[in-house]
Order: sequence, then structure tokens, then C-alpha cells
Amino acid sequence: MTAAAIEMRSINKVFGPVKALDDADLLVESGTIHGLVGQNGAGKSTIIKILAGIYRRTSGEVSVFGKPLDQITPASIEAEGVHFIHQDRLLVPTATVAEAIFLRNEPRIGPFINYAAMNRQASELLKLYFNLDLNPRTLISELSTAQQKIVQITRALAHHAKILVLDEPTAALVSKEVESLFSVLRRLKAEGLAIVFISHYMSEILEICDVVTVLRNGTDVGVVDPSEVGIQKIVEMMTNRNTSEMYPRRDVEIGAPIMSVKNLSVDGHFKDVSFDIRAGEIVGLTGLLGSGDKEVLNTLFGQISPDAGEIILHDKKQKFRSPVDAVNNGVAKIPEDRRAHGVATGLSVGENMSLASLGQMSKNGFVDRKKEAGVIDGLIRDLGIKTPDRHTLVKNLSGGNQQKVVVGKWLGCNSEIYLLDEPTVAVDVGAKVEIYNLMNRLASEGKGLVFVSSDLEEVTEMCDRVLVIYRGRIIAEYKRGEIDADRLLAAASGAVTDTERKRA
Amino acid sequence: MTAVEHVPATKSGWFNSKVFAKLAIRLGAFAAFAGIMIYFALTARGFTSTYNMINVVEQSAILGFLAFAMTVVFIGTGTDVQKGGIDLSIAANAGLCAAVYAVMMREGYGNFVAIPAAIGTGMVIGFFNGLAVVTLKIMPLLGTLAVMNIAAGLELTLTENTVVPVQSDLMNVLAFGRFLGISTLAWCLIIGSVLLVWAVHYSKIGLRLYAVGGHIEAARAAGINTGRYVYGAYIFSGFMAGVASILIVSRLSSSTPGTGLMLLPILAAALLGTVFSRRFIPTIGGTLLAALFIGFLANGFQLLGISSYWVSGVQGALILLVVTVTSFAKKH
Repeated sequence: MTAAAIEMRSINKVFGPVKALDDADLLVESGTIHGLVGQNGAGKSTIIKILAGIYRRTSGEVSVFGKPLDQITPASIEAEGVHFIHQDRLLVPTATVAEAIFLRNEPRIGPFINYAAMNRQASELLKLYFNLDLNPRTLISELSTAQQKIVQITRALAHHAKILVLDEPTAALVSKEVESLFSVLRRLKAEGLAIVFISHYMSEILEICDVVTVLRNGTDVGVVDPSEVGIQKIVEMMTNRNTSEMYPRRDVEIGAPIMSVKNLSVDGHFKDVSFDIRAGEIVGLTGLLGSGDKEVLNTLFGQISPDAGEIILHDKKQKFRSPVDAVNNGVAKIPEDRRAHGVATGLSVGENMSLASLGQMSKNGFVDRKKEAGVIDGLIRDLGIKTPDRHTLVKNLSGGNQQKVVVGKWLGCNSEIYLLDEPTVAVDVGAKVEIYNLMNRLASEGKGLVFVSSDLEEVTEMCDRVLVIYRGRIIAEYKRGEIDADRLLAAASGAVTDTERKRA
Repeated sequence: MTAVEHVPATKSGWFNSKVFAKLAIRLGAFAAFAGIMIYFALTARGFTSTYNMINVVEQSAILGFLAFAMTVVFIGTGTDVQKGGIDLSIAANAGLCAAVYAVMMREGYGNFVAIPAAIGTGMVIGFFNGLAVVTLKIMPLLGTLAVMNIAAGLELTLTENTVVPVQSDLMNVLAFGRFLGISTLAWCLIIGSVLLVWAVHYSKIGLRLYAVGGHIEAARAAGINTGRYVYGAYIFSGFMAGVASILIVSRLSSSTPGTGLMLLPILAAALLGTVFSRRFIPTIGGTLLAALFIGFLANGFQLLGISSYWVSGVQGALILLVVTVTSFAKKH
């Protein structure tokens, strides 16, 4: 019996206090397409980066075709015939197609690169595998996303790859391109390659994979045949629903719409998005990475200007040219990456919280320090921010408390619409609950909230209504009571359209 | 299928206008070059004479060598001057190498010791740039600025800010020798250009260097040891500073303070060179053309009797123009 193409055993990876991988196994045979699925943070990318030599494993064993590998570097793993098609298209924009394909494998005559042969061979490979007529002298920066993906795969094939690892290869492709990619993958499988296919799109996993390894919380929880067990079962394995008392309940009367979004479109990101936000309502907006959910939020906050459609606030049409316009009209946003956008870590807690609302606290152009101190101390108390006092620098607080400062910053300015972008990412459980409490408090004060999150559990538990966005369009809407995580994930992964496709 | 229609990133719209803009800039650069040459030919007496033309090529040889070095650093570290790499120390480094060479010759060591010592000095300075930028991860603009000051300080220490006169047979050959009617300095430029065109554009090392500068993550993912290439680019830059220093001393028959002032024309030539390439990237051919352009510009001004102080202003304006135009073209 021949050795497995990839054999990863009891892989552990620890980042500081966080255990990203906990005794995870991955076994991939030649001549198969092996799916790797799991929710965000389940450890998919960590295990792949360990194989790629980008991360070093804390413990565990890796062997490729039966050969144990101790120290893996990006160059050494390529020498073993393992090639990675990264999600972000890692290509040199100023190189030509032929140069990108043959980088580190250049055909030469003596000390000279044989550009004629290089261009010819590149053309032949593209024709052979993808039936694509592409001028090999075209610059990478002039290619479409799909073409760049094709160039990456062609590069792996030109280097005689025996194992291909594709990380979300279809995320930026249109359906027709996905089809042609799949037919190439099937042919490579028939030629005996081992292919690892990582995707959030369950319909694609079902269509192309022979075997699927499901990861949850850093551990492999099952290796299954997707056509045998079906999408629902895989999704259940991924989520393992067990909702504890993390989510505080609220009873709020939902009032009239505060903001209405009508046929909002931004070219290349989303199209014809329409929904209302009512007083006291938490509206969830969820989708896979790159589905357009964040862009919708950014558009509502004036960071992106829409190409079509309108935003109506209190029956008045609004054109937000910048976040300043949005803030002045009572729209606040709690951004995802708080270090980059939400909080000035070098300033004190008090300074950060008053930044957004200095206008209310100043008199004749001077900041009324007494009034400021009163408002801020009140906020620190209300939010339960764990800080010695308002003069402590934000960078000395924990992540959860930093996030509460960001929220507090906007609470001080009395907005009506709150846009929350992944407010609980990288925050511990205790702080999560306090952020949920804050959201409930805002809702009970009659504010409208839009909540973007990829944590389907919290979306399920927190929202009055959830809109699922898939490839730039809202494809499903669930009301409280009908929402459950499996349903959301199935919709976000395109399984809904899959059934509609069959119906059509 | 009809339920979800992916909104593809529209590429065709700006694609054509982008290609057009790039073409316009490139043609514009060539037209400006030609226009200025014609203007000088018509107005500056003696500009078109063979003697003057050869003179400009000779004068451009030293600038060309140093601009080639800057070009290689640009290639390996990204052309974006604001974010990518740069070697601000190169002119000061050449000054230091010239001082090392001149002082060693004065002390009677001879060319066989003095030339390797000068080039070795340049490479050590280049190594320090690599250390600052790659190992210590200091912003190139700052790291090489600091190294520039070290080199300039060492030069002054060695020469005590005086002219160190040198005499040797080799220097006479370099400064006054001729072969097939072309001077040795011009031959140096021709041979250096040919070698570098091979190394940068036709060797695997050159292609990989472009990959490292073009997208360092992509190069790393392709299994290239990117740190080694960036170090290599800076050490090569130091090597070229050493080679150029021999030419400088030969031409002036001495080591003279003020070599550091060449930084501006070097930068102008390396940046202007990018405009002459199809991909708006630094190339040896483009830099050669740009170095000659700057040489002709200075020469034409001289012949027209315009103060040489203007030349420096024009070079500064050229840098601003090129950086603005290329970054604009890349964005839109």
C-alpha cells in the first residue's frame, strides 16, 4: 500500500494563550479531492499554514508521501511537490503571465533566460489545462481575478505539483469560471494528484469533494463522504449548536422605521440591497467573507459612495459624502478592527470617549472639562469598563474593554442608528456578554442597530431579523423564531440557491 | 442560476483608459526627450558636434553607474519610493570609496590593493544598508539616510575635507584612453550596461529580484529567500559605488569633497527611467536613457549660458513630476 499524500497527525498550535489547533489530524490520499471545512476560527487556515511552512507547529507530525518533514519552509515544501493556491492572489503585478508561471523554474539557454521558450510553454500549458488563449506577455495586473487564479494553478502544474492545496479558490469567481475550474480539478484528480479544497461554499464541497474533514475549535470532528451524509449533517458538525446563557434576552417594542435602504448598489460589491431599520430593532447582516456585508455597512456610514439606490433617514433622502455626514445625521459605527479604526490606543480612556462628542461638551470653542468628566465617568460605570480611571491609556486595557471604549465613544454622542461590524471579534466571553447587554440597552432606548457578524450563533441569538447576503445580494431574510444557525450557514453558503437552481 | 447573479468587478471600463494613459505618458516622455534635444540642437551652438556628444556620454558614465545601482535597489525593493526601498547613501558611499582609494594611493599601496579596498568599502556600506533595512526592519528612507551620514562622516575623517590628488597609469587610461575612437569612460558605460541588461533582464536572478520587489509576499510564497535578495541589492549598490569611485578619481585626478551632491541626479535618473518602460518599472535601458537625458540637459544649459544652479532645480522638478505621474497612472 502506498503512503498517503499528506499525513498530519496530532497537530497542536498555540498562539499565546490561544489554542488554535488541538490534536488535529488531516489525511489526504492521492487521486482524491479532499474538502476542509469549518467555521471561522476553527483552524482551517492554521493547519494549512503549518503545512505551507508559514507557521511552525507546536507539536505533531507531518509527512508527505510517507516522508516525515521536520522543518518546513515555503521553499522546502514546494520541493516535495506541494503547491498552495492562496486565497489572496499572490502574484507579482508587474510580471508577465509567463514570468509568473515560470518564476523559480525559468527555461534557460546557458546563463540567459529563454524568453521565447518561456512564452511558448506558458501558452501551451494554459491551452492544455484551461483551453485558454491568453497572451503570455500580458501583465498580471491587467488580468481579471479568475485569470489570475488560473495563472496560479498553471504555475503549480508547471512545477510538476503532486499535491495542490486550494484555499477558497472560488471566492472571487463567477459561476461559469467555477465550472471550468472544477472540470480542471477533476482532470487533475484523474491524473492522480491529491487536491485539498478549502471552501465555505457547501454546495461546492458537495459537488467536487470525495472526502471532507470537518474542523471545529481546532480539532477534526469528523471525516465524511459529503454525498453520503449531505450538507445539513456537515453544517451541524461544524456548528455543534449548544447555546448557553450567553445571550441575554430583551423585550422591546419595535417601532417605526428610522432608516430605509432602497436598491442600494456598489459596483463590484453588492447590488439592489433594500431593507428597513426600525426603532428598537437589531437587524443582522451576515454572509461569507467577501459577500458584500461589510461594504453595505461602510456605504451606510458614508465610507463608500453608492452607485445606485438611496438611503432614507426619517423620511429624508440622505447622501453621505463622508463618515462626518453620517455622524452628523445620527449614524454611528463601531468598526471591526478597533486598533486601526475605532480607538486611539495612545490616548486615555476619557479622551477616546469624548472624541466623537466634543461638540456637545464644549462651550464657546473650549471643552467644558467638568461636564466632560461627568459624562465619561458615567459611561465607564454604565459600561462596566475595567479601568483604574479615565486617565488610563487605552492600550493598557484588555481587548474586550477596548471594544467597550469604542462603543462608549459613540454612546456619548446620542446617535440613532448604530452600525456594528463584528463587535465581538477577538474578545473574551465575559466581554462578549457585556457587549450584548449594551446592544440590548441601545435597542431598548429605541435605537436601530445593524449588526454584521460571521459568528452565526450570536447572529441567531441577538437579532430580531437576519438578512443573508450571498455574492452581493440579499438572498434570504429570517425573522426571530425562524432563525437558526444551520439555516443561516446553508443560505450563506449558497445552498438555498442550489435548491432554487434545481427548481429552475 | 437566475437567483444569484454575481456582480463581477468591472474591469473593462477603466482598463482601456488606464492602458491609454500609460501609453500617453510613455510617448510623452520620449517626445519630451526628443523635443528638448531638438531645441538644444537648434539653439545651443556646438550641441550636435561629435565632440560634444561624446563628452556628454563620458560625463554620464559615472551618473549612469550610480543610477544603475539605484535602479537595482528599486527593482529589488519596489518602485514606490514612499513605501519601497531606496539607497540614499549611494552618492556618499561613492565619495567614501573615492577617499579610500585616493588616500591608499597617496600612501603608496598601488592599484592592486587600493581598488579592492575601495570596492570592498562600498560593499560593507551596502551591507550596513541591508542590515538596517532587512534585519533591523528600519524604513529604507531613514535607514539609508543614517548610513549616508556615516559614509559622509567617514569620508571627511579620511580626507579632512581636502582634495587628495592621485596619479597612476591606470587612471590615465581611464581618463584619457581611447579605443576605436571612443573614450575609456564611454566604453565602461557601454560594457557595464550590457552586463547589467543581461543580469537584470535575462538572468534568473534578475527575474527573481523583480518578483521580490514587485510583491514580496508572492515572492516568498514562490519559495524565494527574499531577505537575501534585498541584502544583495544593497550590497550590489555598494559595489557599484566602489566601481564608480575609481572612475570619479580618474576623471578628476583626485578625491574631491562634494560627491554626495550627486544623489539628486542619481535619483532623478533612476526614477525618470521608469517612465521609459512599458510596465512603468525600473529597467537598465530606461535608466541609461534617463541618465543621458539628464546629461544632455546639463550640457545644453551650459552651452546656452544658463546658470548651472538651475540644473539642480530642474532635476528636483523632474523627480516630483515623475513620482506624481507614475503614481497617478498606477492608481487610475
